[in-house]
Amino acid sequence: MRYVVLVVLLMISCATFGQKRGYFIFSGTIQDLETKAPLEGASVLFSGLSIGARTDSSGHFSLTLPSRSYQMVFRSLGYKFKTGRIDLKENANMTVYLEKAEQILDEVVISAEKSEANVNRTIMGVEKMSSKTLKKLPNLMGEADVIRSIMLLPGVSTVGEGASGFNVRGGNVDQNLVLLDGVPLFNTSHLFGFFTGFNADMVQDLSLYKGGIPSMYGGRASSVLDVRVKEGNFDTWGIQGGVGPISSRLLVDGPLVKGKTSLILGARGSISDFYLGYFPNPALKKSKADFYDVNFKLTHKLNENQRISLSGYISHDEFKFASDTLYSWQTQSLSFKHNALWGNLSHNFTAFVSDYQYGIEGMKKGLEFDWKPSIKQQTVREDLSLDLKGKGRMDFGAEFNQYQNDAGTFRPTSTSSEVNEFPMQVENSREMAIYVGHSLPIGKRISLDYGLRYAYFQLLGPLQTYQYRLGTPRTLNSLTDTLRYVSSDVIQSYGGLEPRVSLAVKLDSSTSVKLGFNRMQQFMHLLSNTMAISPVDIWKNSNAYLPQQVADQFSMGVFKNFTNAQNAVFEASAEFYYKRLSNVIDYVDGAALYLNPTVETELVVGKGRAYGAEFFLKKARGLRLTGWVSYTYARSFRQVSATEGQNAANFGKEFPANFDMPHNFKFVLNNRLTKRISFNSNFTFTSGRPITYPNGRYKIYAFNDLYDYGYANGIFPRPGLTPTTYQYGGSNNTFLTSTTIRPLLDGYSSPSFTLRNQERIPFYMRLDIGFTIEPKEGKRWQGSWNFSVYNILSRQNVYSIFFRSSTGLINQARTYQFSVLGAAIPSVTYNFKF
Amino acid sequence: MRRILAFVGLLGLFSCETEITDFKTENLSDAVVVYGEMTNQAGPYTVRLNYTSGYSPFDATQFQGESIPGADVRIVEESGSAIVLKEIQKGMYQTPASFQGQVGKKYRLKIMTPNGLDIASNWQELSAPTELKTLNSKYVNAGKVEDMYFEIQASLQDTRGSDDYYFIKRQDFIQFLTTCPTPPAPPAPVPICYSKCWQAVQNTQPILMDDAFLDGREIKVPLAAIPYDDFTEWFVQLEVYHVDKATHQYWKRQEDQRTLGGGIFDKVPAQIIGNLTCLNNPDRQVLGYFMVAGKTKKRVLVDRYNGIPGESYQKLVNLVNFKKLRYQDSPLWDCRQAAWVPYNIGLNLPVY
Repeated sequence: MRYVVLVVLLMISCATFGQKRGYFIFSGTIQDLETKAPLEGASVLFSGLSIGARTDSSGHFSLTLPSRSYQMVFRSLGYKFKTGRIDLKENANMTVYLEKAEQILDEVVISAEKSEANVNRTIMGVEKMSSKTLKKLPNLMGEADVIRSIMLLPGVSTVGEGASGFNVRGGNVDQNLVLLDGVPLFNTSHLFGFFTGFNADMVQDLSLYKGGIPSMYGGRASSVLDVRVKEGNFDTWGIQGGVGPISSRLLVDGPLVKGKTSLILGARGSISDFYLGYFPNPALKKSKADFYDVNFKLTHKLNENQRISLSGYISHDEFKFASDTLYSWQTQSLSFKHNALWGNLSHNFTAFVSDYQYGIEGMKKGLEFDWKPSIKQQTVREDLSLDLKGKGRMDFGAEFNQYQNDAGTFRPTSTSSEVNEFPMQVENSREMAIYVGHSLPIGKRISLDYGLRYAYFQLLGPLQTYQYRLGTPRTLNSLTDTLRYVSSDVIQSYGGLEPRVSLAVKLDSSTSVKLGFNRMQQFMHLLSNTMAISPVDIWKNSNAYLPQQVADQFSMGVFKNFTNAQNAVFEASAEFYYKRLSNVIDYVDGAALYLNPTVETELVVGKGRAYGAEFFLKKARGLRLTGWVSYTYARSFRQVSATEGQNAANFGKEFPANFDMPHNFKFVLNNRLTKRISFNSNFTFTSGRPITYPNGRYKIYAFNDLYDYGYANGIFPRPGLTPTTYQYGGSNNTFLTSTTIRPLLDGYSSPSFTLRNQERIPFYMRLDIGFTIEPKEGKRWQGSWNFSVYNILSRQNVYSIFFRSSTGLINQARTYQFSVLGAAIPSVTYNFKF
Repeated sequence: MRRILAFVGLLGLFSCETEITDFKTENLSDAVVVYGEMTNQAGPYTVRLNYTSGYSPFDATQFQGESIPGADVRIVEESGSAIVLKEIQKGMYQTPASFQGQVGKKYRLKIMTPNGLDIASNWQELSAPTELKTLNSKYVNAGKVEDMYFEIQASLQDTRGSDDYYFIKRQDFIQFLTTCPTPPAPPAPVPICYSKCWQAVQNTQPILMDDAFLDGREIKVPLAAIPYDDFTEWFVQLEVYHVDKATHQYWKRQEDQRTLGGGIFDKVPAQIIGNLTCLNNPDRQVLGYFMVAGKTKKRVLVDRYNGIPGESYQKLVNLVNFKKLRYQDSPLWDCRQAAWVPYNIGLNLPVY
């Protein structure tokens, strides 16, 4: 409650702050002339002033200006600029409509903002991508895909094809805060990670914060992927969709009340079950690979400066490969937002509920069960932004999150099932945060963004926890006591300040140098001791044994823009970072994490570090050719102190993280061949990920009873006969020759491993190409085609190398490599819109 | 999980698994490997000591680790008395036949190697053995002889209220028949022909079970079926070790690692340390295990001759002739000499 009071006080004080003699508030909205859709990131520039304004996601802008006449320019990428004039003698508001630029010039590749933003912006380590760019990248099986697309950006990597999630600047997968219209997602994948869990058609734009993370974001240690969902059209109804080899999509949007209320509804569903039924293989016939997702957003304008919206999202996956085990995971969320522009104060209120369920259902006759852990989250947050009249902008706000983390009770699901129920606990917790941030221009060349966030976490009763003998490893044998808490108890609290600072110095109009530091804390952790996370890995709250993860990142960068004779715009940057991680989670060797009430006995806490350099050159604007090329050198290490009696990873020595892939080279190219046809390609090269190789092999002689029996009783060795074949007169002749029957000693063969992650699998290299044919202009039905070939080099990129021991004296130490997508994969997608 | 990835890899059309034939490592480890068992059943019990070997699939010299002879090996009871094991082969040590483990007592293995390594296991309590509740076979008919089989059913009655873990060894004994040569012309005497022998192919695959979610229930033992590819007799023998949690986890980790599929949802591989340590040099790794457990043993005869529908039997006879399962091309007077039959143990089954 005290946070709510604080926010209200802040709002009141700030609202009065803006009223000063000789200054007036100039606000407005910039929209698309044709669709009336708000334009985010559009700029307003004023004659005689070095500062301007940029529109927010609702197309709004607001700033306080001295009273006088101004010549104004309104600009947005892909639109014709517009000029205007205003004589500011009182507070003023206007709506500006921009017309789409029709010429093929200035095709934009990757930006939701003006091209000089990378130099002018104070923070660094930020990547933005529009939905237009997203859809033009060559894709896998016809699916434009958000997470697969951001893999093409520097500093973002994955452990392999099909792996769920992504790694940013040496952080774990669970250290990324993925927000879908402000709602955090605990699982972002369909089909185990081959596709992103939400529909790219619904995406307005996305921002990936790798380094300079604004103080409004928190709760995860490494990065923020903020995905904004489109609003429906306020004037006309439209339908668009697509048919691809894996899934089909449909999106409907339009006004419920013209000019006032709009609705957008998008749905996507897999059609793989349809194929499976036609496969002759009985295993495939019995398999299941369903997924679907649905988004909607209802927006209502209360007035020109105020709107409310209600959004919903459902994502569902079911997967079964011939066996009797069904994997499933689903997310449901409902959120409410109220946005308003009150003078120079922008207000954004968000409240949402979300429910993430995952687990396994066993369908074997007589052993039917289900295990469905879940996380329910309820959140309210208020974000305020105040324009300080030439003194920058102040952002502040607060959020309150309540979690119910159910570890999932194992239950029989039929009366004939022989399994016993195995209850697991529900953990309740809350996480609160308050933040303030100030963007401050210091003269014409220097700008400073500084902020502070305070996050506080409480683990609450009712809960049963365990105590272990101090000074010894946590095991069942060292368990000393069981503590029972009731619902009013606070079991454990953690809190801490998160400073965020970014400083930019402009050396000239196209060059800047930036420095940054930010700290992030994380109170919920994904427990996974596999190479990549799986959809049924469990999330765990911080508790007495798992303090919050903390990441400190220091970064610096040099940014330079330049143009050539053809007026093409190039952006170049070099960014360097060092990240320090504490309280990262690791596992005792062979840890059992599922359905383990004392899972803390399997966990150890360690530290990590990551560093890297990212070099980026982008042709942001060009007559035909646009794209980027990047090279990243990045390292990531972990270290867990060995404890007596437990084999901590690598005997306590530092080791490369599973996703430590030092060299990353990427290019993305978009070539507009004609007005309607464009050619796209992207290329990725990365070092192989680390792997633990054996340093020998050994036999466990546990199955030699017969061998010993034979030798002890004179059965072995003994004389015998064996067939020998020879050829004579064109025919094979067999006769028996003498031999000795003497079985060799054999046993259970096992590889002997040593230090963790000391070797690497071969490098990864992939080239994708695609053609997009845009619809003809002026037609009501607008159909477009996308032809893509994923991995056109047909390279069998190694996904893993593994060592399979088997019995028998010869076939006992075999080494294999596995490629998930070891061939070129063509696809055709048809998209329509009317 | 690799199967899942391969399946999703556009329904397996684009994924591939290939063997790397040139991968090998020298033996870079100086770890000592120890394995021994003792149970409540009559001995002698055997302990083997050896070193690790190189990881090379095609180098015969690396198939077995180098043995460690000349060690002082003994089993110590909690009362302090010790049984010295005698080295009967290089690196193989055995207790006297008179020594037998007793349920409820604790034992540990103590080893002093010739190069001065003092190795010991944890104290292990010999648990009460668990009997198999059922062990039987059932014929399953089919249209094609290749699809006919015998289902092997076995179960354990778990004890309610305790966490129970089981390690099971399966050993099959299969009768095989050879063809006798044409007798010599009279008046030469017709030699005796032995044409029924047994083979017992070595099986190094443990069956691991526990009573998680099934406490106090009758737990079925998962057993692979027996093909109806001949009508000779077939015995299935199960040895049930009632082990503790640590022993079960050790073997479970071995099995997890052995059955790695290459998917990235596999656990990160790591050295598996059992219950043995080197007391005077803790940095020296000791691999393997000293397993102490209550054990029961049971055999069931799968009669593949009687009680089979006539039509199915006739199909099998045709198959046996077609596949020349009686070794007509290599007639023998004594099936014990058939060296081409793996693990040919002769005319008799091992003593029960």
